[in-house]
Amino acid sequence: MKFGALAAVQMVSFSLNPGEILGMIGPNGAGKTTLLNCVIGIHKPTSGKIFLNQIDITGMKPHKICRMGLAKTSQIMEPFMAMTVFENVLVGALHGGRMRMRPATEQTEKVIELVGLKQYAYKLSGSIPVPARRRLELARALASGANILLLDENMAGLNPHEIDEALEILKKIRNSGKSLIVIEHIMRVVMGISDRIIVLNYGSKIAEGFPEEVVNDETVIKAYLGGKLSSLKVA
Amino acid sequence: MNFKIDRIILIIFLGITAALAFLPNFVESEYLLRLITVVIFWIGIAGCWNMMSGYTGYIDFGPVVYFGIGSYVVAIAMTKYGIPFFPSLFISGLISGSVAFLVGIPTLRLKGAYFAIATFAFAEAMKQIALEFDRTFSVSFFQGSDGITLPISGHDNSFFFYCVLPVTFLVVLAHYYIEHSKFGYGLKAIKEAETAAEISGVNTTANKLGAYVSSAFFLGLFGAIEAYWITYITPSDVFNVQKTVQMVIMTLLGGMGTFLGPVVGATFLTLISESLGARFVEYYLIMIGGIIIVAILIMPNGIIGSLKIRKKLRFI
Amino acid sequence: MYTVFVQTIINGLLLGGVYAAYSAGFSLIFGVMGVVNLAHGELIMLGAFTSYWLFAYFNLDPYLSAPFAMILLFLFGYVVQKYIINRVIGQPHIMSYILTFGLHLMIANIAIKMWTQDFRSITTSYSGANAAIWGLNIPLARLVTFMVALLVTWVLWFFLMRTETGRAIRATAQDKEVARLMGVDIRNIYAITFGLGAAITGLSGSVMSPFVIISPEMGLEYTIIAFCVVVLGGMGYMPGALVGGLVLGVAQSLAATYLNAGVSVAITFIILFIMLVICPKGILGKGSVA
Ligand SMILES: Nc1ncnc2c1ncn2[C@@H]1O[C@H](COP(=O)(O)OP(=O)(O)OP(=O)(O)O)[C@@H](O)[C@H]1O
Ligand SMILES: [Mg+2]
Repeated sequence: MKFGALAAVQMVSFSLNPGEILGMIGPNGAGKTTLLNCVIGIHKPTSGKIFLNQIDITGMKPHKICRMGLAKTSQIMEPFMAMTVFENVLVGALHGGRMRMRPATEQTEKVIELVGLKQYAYKLSGSIPVPARRRLELARALASGANILLLDENMAGLNPHEIDEALEILKKIRNSGKSLIVIEHIMRVVMGISDRIIVLNYGSKIAEGFPEEVVNDETVIKAYLGGKLSSLKVA
Repeated sequence: MNFKIDRIILIIFLGITAALAFLPNFVESEYLLRLITVVIFWIGIAGCWNMMSGYTGYIDFGPVVYFGIGSYVVAIAMTKYGIPFFPSLFISGLISGSVAFLVGIPTLRLKGAYFAIATFAFAEAMKQIALEFDRTFSVSFFQGSDGITLPISGHDNSFFFYCVLPVTFLVVLAHYYIEHSKFGYGLKAIKEAETAAEISGVNTTANKLGAYVSSAFFLGLFGAIEAYWITYITPSDVFNVQKTVQMVIMTLLGGMGTFLGPVVGATFLTLISESLGARFVEYYLIMIGGIIIVAILIMPNGIIGSLKIRKKLRFI
Repeated sequence: MYTVFVQTIINGLLLGGVYAAYSAGFSLIFGVMGVVNLAHGELIMLGAFTSYWLFAYFNLDPYLSAPFAMILLFLFGYVVQKYIINRVIGQPHIMSYILTFGLHLMIANIAIKMWTQDFRSITTSYSGANAAIWGLNIPLARLVTFMVALLVTWVLWFFLMRTETGRAIRATAQDKEVARLMGVDIRNIYAITFGLGAAITGLSGSVMSPFVIISPEMGLEYTIIAFCVVVLGGMGYMPGALVGGLVLGVAQSLAATYLNAGVSVAITFIILFIMLVICPKGILGKGSVA
């Protein structure tokens, strides 16, 4: 994927197995967001292909990809401000899940319950605190009924207690049979929850493997040299 | 989700429309009936604009083009092909809608000011084409600035009242539908955050196009009715940018993207211009300018929009 | 045949120079603030009237009254931005359209109230003067306006690139928030930008006054042309107004000579529409796409 002359992501290939949680890490600007945005069709990759269950989805419109079961939360949160939390999630169910009003309403209620947003359900989404907005992003993606969820720093800005809660939710989601890709800077999260991890740096994949393998990898440690090194070791 | 209150509002609205249907039997004054018809006419037209721009946030500065196309289709169908009014009316709507479909596909990819200017340019281009087509290609079709005279209808004002009422009724009903349907939630999501809407599964292209085409369809009907009503049309009249301005201002005063916004805004502005326009001709436009500026500064969400926020109402 | 063609091109270029002269301010205001100023034509009108009255009462030549028009319109623009338009910055862009449209209605109609709807013109010794070279006619007043357009573009460019205020304006245009953090007073910069845009627009009105019809209602037409010019050249890209103006002027002039005058207006809008759809960044591809 190139932006003008800048190759934001290049020659990265990876796969996600059913029921798996794949962690994705890398320094700021490594190209994690760009990579996942290519996957869900926001960017059209300048070269390369993306397959979902053997079907080539490269270059498809994002809404099609979403309806095929790939939903992403956005790192910069983008709620539909003038709508209530409930309506935000409803959009995901109606459109992403291709449901009629009544089943979509039921689905929305279920999802809101699952992510614990009940107390905010009828508040305008522009007026709720950041942790709730993070959950709203997750809820909207979930409501579409997607089997694969891509979470882009969905826990950024949360305190440790909130992170624990969020982890619980993720585990519940995984146990319901969905696969996840989780981008996160918080090592405790990635290490604790991922089955496998891939590491990006300067738009390339520099490592892939089980969490323990990755933290001990030479190149990864180099990429994180400096402040982040200690946080890696802690995990 | 207060479906109960919404139902009540719907029933009130149906009741009012039903009551209005009997109005011509009671209103003696031709002037009053005409005024009421004009108000309902503008509610419908402002509603068409709201349907598209109010809900999707795509500011259409050329809606008048579909109004004008409606006028011309009905005029040409009736004078050149001798088709009676009602079939011609329907054809007007269809052609306006089809043109909107073709124009919408490339234009709706544009964002912000670019969409606004493109729609404006298209409307002005159509006006100029209607003006110059015949002279340039030596034919007699649009009849340029001479205009077209339609067959005299011979109908009285109540006939046009009954033409306008059902179309406006449908437009307002469409608003109700937008407020409560999958389609409408798609539009509102597009207005708030288009990319987020798209990745949440909203087919943004199709939804925008749907709103644009329906708005054009109804505008075509209104254009056709007006042409038959005043029996004489010229490009400068039916494609007049002043009409666009009026739709925009009415909706804005009432509240963009609200159910009652066009109703309130159109009623308010039509009555104001009726009462002030005649008495203070000289100051009228200065005042309208002033009202617009003040309204934007103190009440950017319009009358209904502000009410909605203040009273935390979901749907009106 | 040949002479007609060359004359048509010359007319087109001179017309385009006039377009460029009065569109530069529109582009500046859009580029920095994202405001599509629907009262742009009224700024031209006010500039032209400044010259008109100074000519009528003091017999002052329009080229000499141009500085007055600039100063007057700078102040006017500064105040309008500071106290009115600044209040909707950051709101949906339609707010600025409606606001400036309200301004258009007020200014134009107050002007009608004060000066009536009459058409006026300034007849100077050089109003109709032509230089004839090789059988071609070159209207001098338009040539001067063309020069002014070049000068304005150049001075503005220089100002934006080289001066402290210019840098602050560019920084604000690029990223309002960052500029604010760097200590730029955004509201003041906006007011200065609008004042500057108004001043060069007033200047154009002033130098055009010897050869255009002056009336309170003249504005809207100019606003529309400025729209087209700026879109053609690329919205918000300063030298674009010059290129856009010339292209549009030549296209219109060719259409008027070889088809008819009415078609040239139709062509303007058709070009505008097609341009936006296929290449919203303008001919040079340097406009900003919001
Ligand atoms: N739309 C764009 N246009 C140009 N460059 C872009 C664009 N989006 C991202 N980039 C650049 O691509 C590179 C990768 O960015 P990306 O957002 O994918 O990184 P990231 O790994 O998600 O970083 P972070 O951890 O900060 O979220 C960066 O250098 C960024 O500046
Ligand atoms: Mg990122």
